[in-house]
Amino acid sequence: MAREVISTGNELASIAAIDAGAMFFSGYPITPSSEVMHVASDLLPEVGGKFIQMEDEIAGIAAALGASMTGVKSYTATSGPGISLKAEQIGLGFIAEVPLVIVNVMRGGPSTGLPTRVSQADIGQAQYPTHGDYASITLCAGSLSECYTETVRGFNLAEKYMTPVFVLLDETIGHMHGKAVLPDLEEIKANIVNRATFDGPIDEYKPYKVPMNKPAVLNKMFQGYKHHVTGLHHGDEGFPTEDAAQCEFNIERLVGKINTVAKENDGLDDLPDYEEYMLEDAEVCLIAYGSIGLGAYEAVQKLRAEGIKAGMFRPIMLWPSPAKKIAEIGAKFKDKIFITELNMGQYSKEIERIIKRDDFTTLLKANGRPIAPAEMVAKVKEMM
Amino acid sequence: MGTFKTENPGNQPVWVNTSNCKACDICVSVCPSGVLGMKYEITSTLGAMISIDHPEACIGCSECELSCPDFAIYVADKKDYKFAKLTDESKERQAAIIANNYMSLSEQGVK
Amino acid sequence: MAFNYDKYLRVNKMPTLWCWGCGDGVILKATIRAIDKMGWDMDNVCVVSGIGCSGRFSSYINCNTIHTTHGRTVAYATGVKLANPSVNVIVVAGDGDGLAIGGNHTIHGCRRNIDLNFILINNFIYGLTNSQTSPTTPQGMWSVSAQNGNIDPTFNACNLAIGAGASFVARETMIDPKKLEKILVKGFSHRGFSFFDIMSNCHINLGRKNKMANAMENLAWIDSITTPLKKWEALSPEEQLNKFPTGVLREVEQAEYCDMYDQVIAAAQGKRGKITQADFAKKI
Repeated sequence: MAREVISTGNELASIAAIDAGAMFFSGYPITPSSEVMHVASDLLPEVGGKFIQMEDEIAGIAAALGASMTGVKSYTATSGPGISLKAEQIGLGFIAEVPLVIVNVMRGGPSTGLPTRVSQADIGQAQYPTHGDYASITLCAGSLSECYTETVRGFNLAEKYMTPVFVLLDETIGHMHGKAVLPDLEEIKANIVNRATFDGPIDEYKPYKVPMNKPAVLNKMFQGYKHHVTGLHHGDEGFPTEDAAQCEFNIERLVGKINTVAKENDGLDDLPDYEEYMLEDAEVCLIAYGSIGLGAYEAVQKLRAEGIKAGMFRPIMLWPSPAKKIAEIGAKFKDKIFITELNMGQYSKEIERIIKRDDFTTLLKANGRPIAPAEMVAKVKEMM
Repeated sequence: MGTFKTENPGNQPVWVNTSNCKACDICVSVCPSGVLGMKYEITSTLGAMISIDHPEACIGCSECELSCPDFAIYVADKKDYKFAKLTDESKERQAAIIANNYMSLSEQGVK
Repeated sequence: MAFNYDKYLRVNKMPTLWCWGCGDGVILKATIRAIDKMGWDMDNVCVVSGIGCSGRFSSYINCNTIHTTHGRTVAYATGVKLANPSVNVIVVAGDGDGLAIGGNHTIHGCRRNIDLNFILINNFIYGLTNSQTSPTTPQGMWSVSAQNGNIDPTFNACNLAIGAGASFVARETMIDPKKLEKILVKGFSHRGFSFFDIMSNCHINLGRKNKMANAMENLAWIDSITTPLKKWEALSPEEQLNKFPTGVLREVEQAEYCDMYDQVIAAAQGKRGKITQADFAKKI
């Protein structure tokens, strides 16, 4: 049975993590994400899980990765400066293929920036948070309910693809307090994805001996399969190598297991990668995500009331982007595309890359303030 | 990849696995009894290789085994082998080996 | 054969990539022998290492092993241990790894007194990156990053661990592997954070330009700067300045983090009241 709760985005993300099977949280306080940690400190021990506040952001993710390497579902939460600090460890998560959910509640940057104000300027950071080549999975919650559902999904994708997954909230949605409709808990539990395991003979276990575009098979530790995890390039057994062919295969596989698979299957799971709102008969397409999407619903309605047939495309899985759909939108709406985001055009660049044109209109803001529906309406009217 | 052998090749007090030995001289330096020495070996990286010159003098103290960083030298268990007693002759030989740059006394102690 | 090393090693990874005469191998061996004495099941042992020569420690020992990033070993190991309190966790880090880039994690591991066995392989130099000054490089020595001589004051690693609250702190050298094995067994048996400052050689990168270019000379220097605790205590303050005491420097019973966390779980599950100051003898 669907549940109705009154909560905040940050709290819902943490509740979702525990419902998704997380048994470990470690992190470091940072505005505006700290409530994710507060809830973890309260609810994790209740289910026998472990919570620890570490000494810094780096330790905050390192302990979570350590727990996950042993097979315990883990998560951490932070904001942009924290991701900057965690960057190197995220890279270890990528190359060693360690599942982890990283909740980033975005605030204004760069550097300390605007700690208490909203931003969506970590979109690019989520795509390439650390050095080297890899592909990132990034989900972006556009409502209180999605703070819950996308966090659950983040865990399932992390386990399925053996990789760190970003769940992006922004300050507005993280601190928004209101009603959320959550899916039936039994249904959530029934659809939990757990990492694949090898149950053959111990001496035949090779965690990284997997075909191109398939994730590694990392067994739980302390069950007899004594494997090695390293941030160095590694061969089938997980031990360091500098073999050129192996290193090339590793990188192609790390990128391919996400980007190629998403392209071939039109997504990474069966859940929606985007929302289309009144797009069917629209003549202009607003593109927005996260909390800005909430304003865009209202802008679409206002525009329609004024006789402009507007609709909205709201990506939920930002990386890998729903490229097929974006290409369709590019072809259908031509120059009647309006992109609005709380940064200097980080996702607009992705749209431009896919549709191979820059004849769209943008409404960008990076001063810590949200974008009001009226601002969107005015700008859309200008372009029509 | 070296071959890794730890078993006693046959009633020896002390034995080595030359594929693991990096010729660091530590075992020679810690032997109290002048059992070990280095011999010139052109195929070894450092131009020398461990040699067991006086197994009959081994007292079974295991210092060489415990001090070897490379799992290259092993000493029999005291219950499996009857070791010698430390003699003045052994001690003098050991001093001479150290003075000879850890080289076997049959070699010129120059590196 | 007296001791079966094969059981504890990944034998197909031998020989190690460490330089000839490197103390890392001796410490690996002593660790293995200590594990054997403890009777630990290798399925239930996790070795976590960082970056540097000591980072390779984890790939040679046949258990659940994690080779982490530079300096973060204690943080990763904290996750491993807290998530799996029944397993035995050994952390291996060098002086640069554990005291410089990872110093913060080291002190907080000590403070929490979580049941980790932290082996600091202290060779007084950055070895893998070729001779840069480390937090323990003595003043006045040469390094590639102190071409005119090092002026940076050094850490006394054990004093740091004691100050931070580790409940077992010991110093030993790799010169006497028998003592080393004994002290490891002692620390492994201790519940709480066990900190081992193991002084080791790097004749290649410390010794080369500091007049101890072979293992024996480097070890002789380590011998000259260490003395057993009892003897050290009898020295004058001036003499103490230039000697590190060896042996167990601190061994106290102190609440262990995972044990305390069990109380958090009990409180959260309503099996006891919330944790208050009344639970602790020390209130500040």
